Amino acid sequence: MSAVERHRNILDFTLASLMRRKGKNSALIVVYTLVVFVLASALFFTQAIRREAGLVLTDAPELVVQRLVAGRHDLIPTAYLEKIRDIRGVTGARSRLWGYYYDATVGANYTLEVPLEAPPPEGSVIVGEGLARTSGAAVDSLMPFRTTRGEITTFAVSKILPSDSSLVSADLVLLSEKDFREMFGVDRAHATDLAVTVRNKKEIPVIARKIAEALPDTRTISRDEILRTYDAVFSWRGGIMLALLAGAVLAFVIFAWDRAAGLSAEERKEIGILKAIGWETSDVLLMKFWEGVAVSLTAFLLGIVAAYVHVFFASAGLFEPVLKGWSVLYPRFRLVPFIDFPQVAALFFLTVVPYTVATVIPSWRAATVDPDAVMRG
Amino acid sequence: MIDLQDIQKTFNKGRPNEYVAVRRVSLKVEPQLVTVLKGPSGSGKTTLLSLLGCMTRPTSGRIFLDGREITSLPERFLTEIRRRTYGFIFQQFNLVKGITVLENVMLPAYPTGERRAVLRDRAMELLELFSMAHKAPSKVEWLSGGESQRVAIARALINDPGYVIADEPTAHLDTALSREFMEIVATLKGRGKTIVMASHDPIVCSEGLVDRIVEVRDGSLVSDGPHR
Repeated sequence: MSAVERHRNILDFTLASLMRRKGKNSALIVVYTLVVFVLASALFFTQAIRREAGLVLTDAPELVVQRLVAGRHDLIPTAYLEKIRDIRGVTGARSRLWGYYYDATVGANYTLEVPLEAPPPEGSVIVGEGLARTSGAAVDSLMPFRTTRGEITTFAVSKILPSDSSLVSADLVLLSEKDFREMFGVDRAHATDLAVTVRNKKEIPVIARKIAEALPDTRTISRDEILRTYDAVFSWRGGIMLALLAGAVLAFVIFAWDRAAGLSAEERKEIGILKAIGWETSDVLLMKFWEGVAVSLTAFLLGIVAAYVHVFFASAGLFEPVLKGWSVLYPRFRLVPFIDFPQVAALFFLTVVPYTVATVIPSWRAATVDPDAVMRG
Repeated sequence: MIDLQDIQKTFNKGRPNEYVAVRRVSLKVEPQLVTVLKGPSGSGKTTLLSLLGCMTRPTSGRIFLDGREITSLPERFLTEIRRRTYGFIFQQFNLVKGITVLENVMLPAYPTGERRAVLRDRAMELLELFSMAHKAPSKVEWLSGGESQRVAIARALINDPGYVIADEPTAHLDTALSREFMEIVATLKGRGKTIVMASHDPIVCSEGLVDRIVEVRDGSLVSDGPHR
């Protein structure tokens, strides 16, 4: 005789009991699963995309200097590099060349960039995995581009980037400085922006201020500022999602509460029978506890798995209109699976625990009644 | 032995619908005998059975089980006594629908934490004793009245109780099945069980194996004596 056997016996009976009301319980599990699925999808999506944004920025320079003309981003003279290097605390400053290119045949935007380290040889490009997929480009195939002069120029694909982080590399085209300048008509005295590295991160605001003083037609953007912007954008989008879902969640809570909290006459009688044949109040509560756990845990696990598949394998198709939607993100990109366990635990406590409690409490009231009630039919 | 001393049971005490179901009853139930509580509907037989079986507490008076006072034991201890000492056969059988005959028989023993295989063997033995082994995998709602009762009896015996308490056991049975039930009672008596039944069925009351008939009316004992 053991406590484990007691739990096992009672759990067996609970499962047999649940099977008796197959239709009702299945309907409940389906609705419950759907709610967990939607909540978990929103959670996984925002977490994963924020993480990707963080990954993108790990290699980013501490400061980016851009030139503004009439409040808009413009090409920056490379002569500014010297002035920046003269500022104390700056360990390096390099010019960057990057831009966007709209491919009308595929209907997608590409990000063209000259890598600071190991650029591809002239006449060739390295492309992202997403871009290769949509345009059908393969290694050694030729990719046509239209230059700013209206001519068509072709580049040989020398390599396809591995997809460590699809978000970063999906739409990327890496090319040599010469090819970039020729294609976009950017002369050698200008660059897209300047990347600045500093010795001490605490000095970033001071250096940013000094740059602004020395070069009044520029603005500086720190890595932390970009991170904060990403964070705010995704929190806001996630928030909008949850606000839209709040109504559905509330309806489910009412439904689940009614289902779990309201004992039918049959269930009440059954509790009476169990008490009369020798079950303690605690045994009845244990049974109801297992019932609540079985229903809510099943729904929770199904919902979480479905959400995982939806977000990481099906590109969160259902949420695309709300959660995605700026030019950097592309219709078919796959997020790198990432789960924030504290958040999943929070979801667990917000779904499984309340339902289980809602199942146990009314039964506790019924289970404390004298068992002789059952003798009276 | 169960010893009731000056027992009174009042329902809804202090309310306008206050009702005294059992009035100052003293009764000793001797072990290994068949005792029948006889009386019309509403006479207090079922309440008296509930008190004998620790299903409810008396409003006043004392109850002793095998010399130990159990009147004011906490619910947990009373449940334990109920499970180990008594087997109940209810008038409506009170089988749990939707699960099998075998599971119904095993049900009272689930909280004891006994191994499932051991429980299963014991339940099958009991079902065999009452010629119900072939129905073990059937759902209880498919059973006839007589079959349901045999399952209810097997369930009452799963924890091997010393006392079997039956409330109007033949109320839903025809004459042949009632006689069959009394044969089972004889078997139980032969196995040394103490049997207490509430009934006003002549088939039960006139049966030779009944050792004692206690007549109850309006919550009080009217007559008490050996079966004649």
